[in-house]
Amino acid sequence: MTPPPATWRLPPRATLLVAVVLLVAAEVGGASMARFKVELARWARGEMLRHPGVHGLVGVRDVDERVLDEALFRFDAGLRLFHMHAEGMALVIIATTTVAATLAETAGLRRMLTLLLTVGGVGYPLGYLLWSVLIPAWGVERSKSLVEWTVWVPFGSATIVALLGLLALISIRMVRR
Amino acid sequence: MTLATLCMLLAALVGAAPAAAHHTGVYTPRDNAITTNFKQLKFSAQAGKFDVARRLFDEGPLRAEMRARVAVLPAGLEARTRAALEAGRAAELERALMIFFVALARDLAVEAERQLATAAPTPATGQRFLEAIWRYYNLVDFVVGQRDARASASMRLAFEDAESAVKDPARLPGAFHRIAEVLGRMLENAVN
Repeated sequence: MTPPPATWRLPPRATLLVAVVLLVAAEVGGASMARFKVELARWARGEMLRHPGVHGLVGVRDVDERVLDEALFRFDAGLRLFHMHAEGMALVIIATTTVAATLAETAGLRRMLTLLLTVGGVGYPLGYLLWSVLIPAWGVERSKSLVEWTVWVPFGSATIVALLGLLALISIRMVRR
Repeated sequence: MTLATLCMLLAALVGAAPAAAHHTGVYTPRDNAITTNFKQLKFSAQAGKFDVARRLFDEGPLRAEMRARVAVLPAGLEARTRAALEAGRAAELERALMIFFVALARDLAVEAERQLATAAPTPATGQRFLEAIWRYYNLVDFVVGQRDARASASMRLAFEDAESAVKDPARLPGAFHRIAEVLGRMLENAVN
């Protein structure tokens, strides 16, 4: 078995590009949230009022205002979580794919780990953005359930599986050294 | 960086990832404009700052709501509230505000009964009406209890019954009817 290289190897440039694009999206998203806070809230509220049945609105202000307030809170939380997760996952992609590129000996294993880490890392934060966008027309719980099964679970699982693979790879290298 | 350090960092990352999937924040219900204004009035009056309380009442949403609901509220409620503030009579102010919030809660109970009797009652709708009723009634329950402990106990029993009826939506219209009755009696006793 060959000893680990003395220097770090770069992951594929496409992976780095995707990670940087995700980082840019996170920053633009965060800035937009601050700049267009009122416009976003107004749009979301308007859409919610256009779908009263989805949100269970009853036409009584004292009852509906709390429902709308909670949905708007979730809408805002989704945008914030996208901003934070996109920032974090972009850095996780760069760090973990660098480890994979450096320590994985076979090209197949390296490609698989890099692919899972990149796809999982990019897809997972986008789920929060999708959740926010869907809340006004689909409702809080229905949109969360949809995003959970179509985005968070598959992309989050891809990242977890890849991280476990990376963990196993490092452990094996430590034992064999 | 050693392989052991890398290993520990990755283990921490794997542990954090699944938990993050369900992290969507915790919502805490906020006061609306009327309940906020009520608290401002109450605390100003308790501190003896009736000039502040009067200004908060004159410019606030509580008075606007009193005017908007003048047809269904006991006659002269706004004038009575204003007079209590002018005279610096905390007990009178407390009573006027109690009447106002009991009336708001009663109207919600009547509306809930009407809606749930005409459409297929759903647990979510019933629960939301209950939360809205309690948000108003809870503000004055202490004052109600001081004046008429039995009325306060009746309301609590009616409310608990309605809470249990949420699981059996067919019982909901009747449960809201009972709340409306209890609050209606409370209102009559407070006004007379």
